[in-house]
Amino acid sequence: MFWKRQVPIFIVALIGSITLFGWFIDQPNVKEFIGDDATQWFDVLASFAIILGALNLIKMQIQKVLYQKPGWQYSVIAVLGFIFAIIAGFFIKGVDDSVAEWGAHVTSDGTLFKWMFDYVFSPMSATMFSLLAFFVASASYRAFRIRNFEATLLLVSGIIIMVGRVPIGGVISSWFIMYLIVLFLGIYVNSIKKDKKVTFIFVAVGLSLVTIAGTIMGWPIDQPGIFYLPSIQEWIYYYPNVAGARAIMIGIGLGIFATSIRYILGIERSYIGE
Amino acid sequence: MKDKQFWVVSAIIAVLFLIYWVAGHPYFVADRIVMFISIIFLSATLIFYTRAAERGEEFFLRPIPALKAVEEAVGRSTEMGRPILYVPGIQDMDQVETVAGVVVLGHVAKMTARYETSLNVPVSRSIVMKAARESCRDAYTVEGRPDMFNEDMVHYLTDDQFAYAAGVNGIMVREKPAACMYMGKFYAESLILAETGNSIGAIQIAGTASQAQIPFFVTACDYTLIGEEFFAASAYLSQKPELIGGVKGQDMIKLFVIAAIVLSTILMILFETAGVGINISDFLTIR
Repeated sequence: MFWKRQVPIFIVALIGSITLFGWFIDQPNVKEFIGDDATQWFDVLASFAIILGALNLIKMQIQKVLYQKPGWQYSVIAVLGFIFAIIAGFFIKGVDDSVAEWGAHVTSDGTLFKWMFDYVFSPMSATMFSLLAFFVASASYRAFRIRNFEATLLLVSGIIIMVGRVPIGGVISSWFIMYLIVLFLGIYVNSIKKDKKVTFIFVAVGLSLVTIAGTIMGWPIDQPGIFYLPSIQEWIYYYPNVAGARAIMIGIGLGIFATSIRYILGIERSYIGE
Repeated sequence: MKDKQFWVVSAIIAVLFLIYWVAGHPYFVADRIVMFISIIFLSATLIFYTRAAERGEEFFLRPIPALKAVEEAVGRSTEMGRPILYVPGIQDMDQVETVAGVVVLGHVAKMTARYETSLNVPVSRSIVMKAARESCRDAYTVEGRPDMFNEDMVHYLTDDQFAYAAGVNGIMVREKPAACMYMGKFYAESLILAETGNSIGAIQIAGTASQAQIPFFVTACDYTLIGEEFFAASAYLSQKPELIGGVKGQDMIKLFVIAAIVLSTILMILFETAGVGINISDFLTIR
């Protein structure tokens, strides 16, 4: 129990305190420990642990093949890929020592390992990454469906940001947007009053006011600025968006701080079991 | 430590620091004193509320739907006879979010042990694999079901981001888990995972402090723990007084921060418009 509980808690408290308060200490050894040594210790530990991960992976995949579990065919490819990577990494360079020494061969052109990286690994990673574009489209479709006020707000903001950030957004006159707003407000007024006369008067007065204002001002494309899409998107991006993001960021910062303090002080011990 | 002892020790530490400061504070980065005092003050607030909770004081915690949904998700999986997929992020144990993810995994494992539901935890780091295994083993033992624990329920896939996403997606499509939980640090793979989970009709609960990924999870998942809620999850799920006290302390700190922001804004406006007071940004800037 002593080794499984007290010792880990003590190590966490000690290293955590040094790392936290080391920020305020102007001493080269402490600075070096925080900035370099501690992370290197972690890297060394992680390097040893990777063997455990690799063994677990290969064990799981071989078991799947042996017991012919669902999808075992994929495991055959995983095992073959694993063996191929080991051969390319440790046994067959594919080039002479004059082209690439052992060790440097993993990044040198023409080697088997680099071939595997460039023509197998990179395209497959890129394929996975490119799927993101389609997932963004499907997720946006769901998020933008008009269900309530928040979703409508999201839809409108999303359209303004998207259109305002592309070249065509800059050639859409603010007067056109004002006409659109009058028409949409007309729909809103109609849904509330349910009276054609009131709606007609509202829309007619609105359109007339916009036309008169436009004639007086000479129809400048970017005036008034609050109806010019690039200006609106900039405002949304730099004010409401930043305010919301900062609020979340402050919460995250406090959460990380409080959690770290709980670990350092030994209040939270769940990570080593109960 | 009793209250009296606690205050005595705190006072001694404060006096010692004052003596050190008056004596010229060697090796101390004086420019960072504001941050140092803030850390001490915030830590003291956390300790104060933690101790209050340990003494038996009761605190109200606002209900978080995502945490209530965890048990529902486990129950749904049990009814459907399908596994639960738990993804503790793609980073190592040097990230607080990963540690928080592993802690929450312990609570989820307790529920799966109680409901006799199978749990599948693919991980992307070997150290996380070891930590998650210990957490699950402990949870199953505490619930009196060590026989149900199987080491391979926590298994390693790969360190690579998109290869890991492909592996987890494969598991989702083949095994069709009834519930998918994403708790940890995520990057671009968050939406790939969550959208695949959505396509198989799984109930999805996410928790992350990765700011850029929160919108993706909110869109694709049924419930999302945003930022600080994720770090408070352990307290909510365990209902341990000392942890709940910590959450209360965290909320009080948030109140102080809001007050500091408002006060600083007023002081800054006064300084810039009328030249009254001090330039608070000089005082608060981290050097």
